[in-house]
Amino acid sequence: MATLLSGLKYSDSLAVVGISICTAFLCEAISWLLIYRTSSYKSLRSSIDKASKKLESMKTLDKPSKKSKTKKMDRVETSLKESSRDLSFSKFKSGAVVALVLFVVFGLLNSLFEGKPVAKLPFVPASIVQKMSHRGLQGDDPTDCSMAFLYFLCSISIRTNLQKFLGFSPPRGAANAAGLFPLPDPKTN
Amino acid sequence: MKEGKLVKFNLQQLQNGHVAPFKLSKLLDPEASWDKDQLGDVLHWIRQVVALVCGLLWGAIPFVGAIWIVLLFHCTAMALADAMHLCHISFGYSFLSLEIIGQGFLVLSSGIIYGYYAIILKIDEEDFGGHGTLLQEGLFASLTLFLLAWILVYSLAHF
Repeated sequence: MATLLSGLKYSDSLAVVGISICTAFLCEAISWLLIYRTSSYKSLRSSIDKASKKLESMKTLDKPSKKSKTKKMDRVETSLKESSRDLSFSKFKSGAVVALVLFVVFGLLNSLFEGKPVAKLPFVPASIVQKMSHRGLQGDDPTDCSMAFLYFLCSISIRTNLQKFLGFSPPRGAANAAGLFPLPDPKTN
Repeated sequence: MKEGKLVKFNLQQLQNGHVAPFKLSKLLDPEASWDKDQLGDVLHWIRQVVALVCGLLWGAIPFVGAIWIVLLFHCTAMALADAMHLCHISFGYSFLSLEIIGQGFLVLSSGIIYGYYAIILKIDEEDFGGHGTLLQEGLFASLTLFLLAWILVYSLAHF
């Protein structure tokens, strides 16, 4: 098995993927230790879930008075936004530690695979993507893949799915309340 | 029938305060009532499975070229989904012609997700935030997973 793997031209890609998987587990372990197991996080998450579900049911059910409906919805929305903000603050501390771990691992991978293509791209990436996919590589072949691009793909796909699988992904209500794509308030128009 | 499903969905939320535990038979049951989070999770995982299968296939064949990533940009795929919804009966034929034009991964996976929630589950997308919300569940993670699988299989199997 080891002979087969070492015989492959791009076997380094497997090392990058393996290290990314271990890093993802390590980052989630750190996050669990510092945030997810704390009672404050659990209560914040539960209040966000309840508030967003209440808001959804209020938006869909008919109410006799529009004025009281808007006031009540405003109160629930405000409480949802405050809980989401508190959740973001609580994740700040572990976020810094996780960022440090990722930085160290990136530095380690860089020292191991700098200047070496670790994979072959089956497509020619856009010029803006080539800045990452061809980072530190010799030659002009745009289909040579550097460690940085492969590590980026591994980080996003593996960490996101691991968080989802373990139930650590942020609640949907928090994402909407935080206003990732803020929409104009219809009441002020 | 859709109005009945909407009332059932909201009553369950109000009365129980929590949703019923998830059962696998619910995946193919058009009469089942769905919680927003549960449906979002199911669509997310379907996208990841489609991404992994496509990536492994694309890499093994191999398909080469950026056209296999995206034939149409994501927003166009969503616009197509809205147009298809208006011509609900001809959905199958619209999707088939897209396949013939080019099997871009984003179009393919978005088409599968749309077909699943609109035709198999018969969900009213207005209850869950519209087509955009449902179609973007797990989109970016699935795209990176697809690229990762495609690149790895292509690099390891053909060099």
